[in-house]
Amino acid sequence: MRAIEERVGFSYPPTAPYTVTSPKIREFADALGDANPAYRGDAPVAPPTFAAVLAAAAWNGLFADEPLELELKRTIHYDQRFAFARPLRAGDVVTATLTIDKVRVRGNTAFITVSVALEAAGERVCTATSTLLHTWEDQA
Amino acid sequence: MTDFTAVEVGTELAPVTVHLTRADLVRYAGASGDFNPIHHSDHFARALGLDGCIAHGMLTMGTALRVVTDWCGDPGRVRSYFVRFAKPVPVPDGPDGAVVTFAGRVTKISDAVATVAIDALLGDEKVLAGATAEVFLG
Repeated sequence: MRAIEERVGFSYPPTAPYTVTSPKIREFADALGDANPAYRGDAPVAPPTFAAVLAAAAWNGLFADEPLELELKRTIHYDQRFAFARPLRAGDVVTATLTIDKVRVRGNTAFITVSVALEAAGERVCTATSTLLHTWEDQA
Repeated sequence: MTDFTAVEVGTELAPVTVHLTRADLVRYAGASGDFNPIHHSDHFARALGLDGCIAHGMLTMGTALRVVTDWCGDPGRVRSYFVRFAKPVPVPDGPDGAVVTFAGRVTKISDAVATVAIDALLGDEKVLAGATAEVFLG
């Protein structure tokens, strides 16, 4: 039994609040080569996949949880889902709360499904659900 | 502006072709904060058994959605988005990088929400599997 199998349903404390800004939105849109005007101007929204940047901050809690013995460098991003209540906007102050939804272990590998709730002003903005494929070095 | 009244199952979205270069990977690393060295160092990529640097999965996912947002205009219409990362996208060090073509097709319309299936092709290889976005048309 891997330690993470006993953590199914567990939620980590929310991340420190992150303030979404116009320059960061523009920088991220530029990195996607995306000239959509919605990402520019006075009141931009963020590209939908910007949510992954905030969700990744919550992943750090998982990798910092020592008994789980998970390492980012031994992890493959297997799939990704976003469900949006509304777009992220400049000015949003966002926290990310990660919950371990599901774990399937086979030998030294595990499919780990985590969902990250992104909330601004107490309102759910997005749920980012990821399946991570982790490989441990040992064969236990 | 897209006329959504004309949208039906089978509607094809205009494809998007990108040349992902090493510079694009570095730019995405900086913008996203994902500095996994397999995206900028052949040395570390090879240590994991890859031939060389690969694109961030999230860069491929984010770029693929341009098919949808170029079509619907307002990214706020995107209600959900899913992909499985089926194959890595190797990005050779050179002026052309990796040439990836994204295409979309409406597969379902229900309660003013269109489901768009997205294909992502590197040559004739699909690098994303099951990629779908739900887009509010109302």
